[in-house]
Amino acid sequence: MNDFLELTVGALASGCIYALAALSYLLITRPTGIINFAVGEWSMLGAFGGFLLLSKAGLPYPVGIVLTLAAMFLVGWSTERLTVRPLVERGAPPLAPILALLGMLVVFRETVSLAIGPDPQPVPPAFGFGRLELGAVAGSYQSFFIIAVTLAVFAAVWYFFERTLAGKSFEAVAIDRRAAALMGINLRRTTALAFAASAAVAGLAGLLVAPNVSAHYLMGLPLAIQGFTALVIGGVGRVEGALLGGMILAFVEQLTVRYAPIPSGLAMGVPLVLLIVFLLVRPTGLLRAREALA
Amino acid sequence: MKQLLGFVAAAVILSAIGFSLGSYQTDVYRKMLLWVTLALSYNFLFGIAGQVAFSHFTFYGIGAYAIVILIFQLGLPLPLAVLAGIALCVALALAVAIPATRLEGFYLALATLAFAQLFIVVLDEGGSVTGSAGGLANYRLPDVFGMKVGAPVYTALIVLLMLATLALLWRLDRSYFGRACRAVRDDAEAAQAMGVNVAKTKIIAYTLTSALAGIAGMAYAFVDNTVNPPIFGLQNSFLLLFMVIVGGSGRHAGAIVGAVLLYLMPLVLSPLIGHHHALVFGVFMVVVVLFQPKGIIGLWDWLKAGGLRRGRIA
Repeated sequence: MNDFLELTVGALASGCIYALAALSYLLITRPTGIINFAVGEWSMLGAFGGFLLLSKAGLPYPVGIVLTLAAMFLVGWSTERLTVRPLVERGAPPLAPILALLGMLVVFRETVSLAIGPDPQPVPPAFGFGRLELGAVAGSYQSFFIIAVTLAVFAAVWYFFERTLAGKSFEAVAIDRRAAALMGINLRRTTALAFAASAAVAGLAGLLVAPNVSAHYLMGLPLAIQGFTALVIGGVGRVEGALLGGMILAFVEQLTVRYAPIPSGLAMGVPLVLLIVFLLVRPTGLLRAREALA
Repeated sequence: MKQLLGFVAAAVILSAIGFSLGSYQTDVYRKMLLWVTLALSYNFLFGIAGQVAFSHFTFYGIGAYAIVILIFQLGLPLPLAVLAGIALCVALALAVAIPATRLEGFYLALATLAFAQLFIVVLDEGGSVTGSAGGLANYRLPDVFGMKVGAPVYTALIVLLMLATLALLWRLDRSYFGRACRAVRDDAEAAQAMGVNVAKTKIIAYTLTSALAGIAGMAYAFVDNTVNPPIFGLQNSFLLLFMVIVGGSGRHAGAIVGAVLLYLMPLVLSPLIGHHHALVFGVFMVVVVLFQPKGIIGLWDWLKAGGLRRGRIA
């Protein structure tokens, strides 16, 4: 039992990282239908933001995190302006922006590998490397920090979609682009905002996970795969789905590594099998999108 | 008849080149031919049948591993091993295609991406069967009917494989099946209404092209005489997609141009600018998607139609 409780905090923390990556996909996919394979690379940029601002420049953590998120917001915004908007406005097929973003994935990755180098770089955690014990539940400071920050992000996003007019317009675009445009919603601004917010969320995930895995130019791909696995499990329609999917994925992963009688290498295949099963059996995910009211 | 003569001439010329090369050049030349073969079949799957699948390079790996395991661990004779390897690729492709092609939009991409990653996990954990992370090495092409296959002859075999793939896909593209594939790609519902069996068309296109990739993989197994997991990772799946797009998707000539260009680009660029070539590659990809969605072959068409004289790209 102690073993299980020990595992819980770690699993919750990785689940939160997956949930943030899934949210990053969702923020773009929902209003535009685009699957952005560069989400993992955005996380990588966020992690290197942490390396440059926190490890190299030695800024205090809150300042570093805010600056990194602001920079990621700009990265997302300019990615949309430079590579997606020209294609959408030209009426290119829906596949074109996805391919352009796949090209951007290479651009981001290689820019970092050339500018900073191919070696893994350290990123400090928010409160040092200590351990927090709350009775039987114990974990690193960073794990608790990740959980707290992720819950705050999801609460904010939930509030945005459910309670604010801008959030409602986002949802309207997701349900019916044409009708939303006819109602006077600015599609361009909504799309640009979606990309900017998505990049900020992805960057946050990278920044939070970096103390455990180090910032490395190839760190994006595993995160990208875990993120869309969580997304598919939870369902692309609902923000809560990303959180649920992230948690399910993390617990399945940790429990198989710990308890299943298979080699740990094979246990790495379990999330992939989970992804395939969900795609085949329930491609809409566990939580269904809200339909437009008839 | 004219086409047949063209193919024979191409076979003679391309094989003759193989006889004139040194050992490093032979290696580059063979791999280039294999990339072209792969790009041709991926072009059919992605460009003509419209399936965004990331599993093509995985089938290349399955073919390569299958032939090595079948010959050197199960002791099958070469011809039988080739047939068994093809059967394995077809069976696996069907197992992926029957459920996966039902998926709409980009979920096929995700499912095949997961399949590709799963293949790497299986290779890494395959113990002595797959040689785990180190892969399999220290084997060489067995004698065929008691005769040793020389290096230039093997190159000629790869040339024939490439041309046979091209010829097959060329014919298919011009048949009912090729038109059905294009119809399904452009509008599945309309194709269904016109009496095309959408599911069957998708499954056959996926299985056939994956089997072709598997056959190319078998040829690859004896090029480096080693197979290991990193070769068959996702990087190369993306590279294959980029080749088809840069060349001009949906066009056989485009696949050939794209494959040759992107395969040779790092070889030419890395002595000049080192690792920057990977960045050039990414920028190139984005620029092509943004400004020349029909690829290099589209640019060629435009030049041929007198585009320069008339000004702007239509």
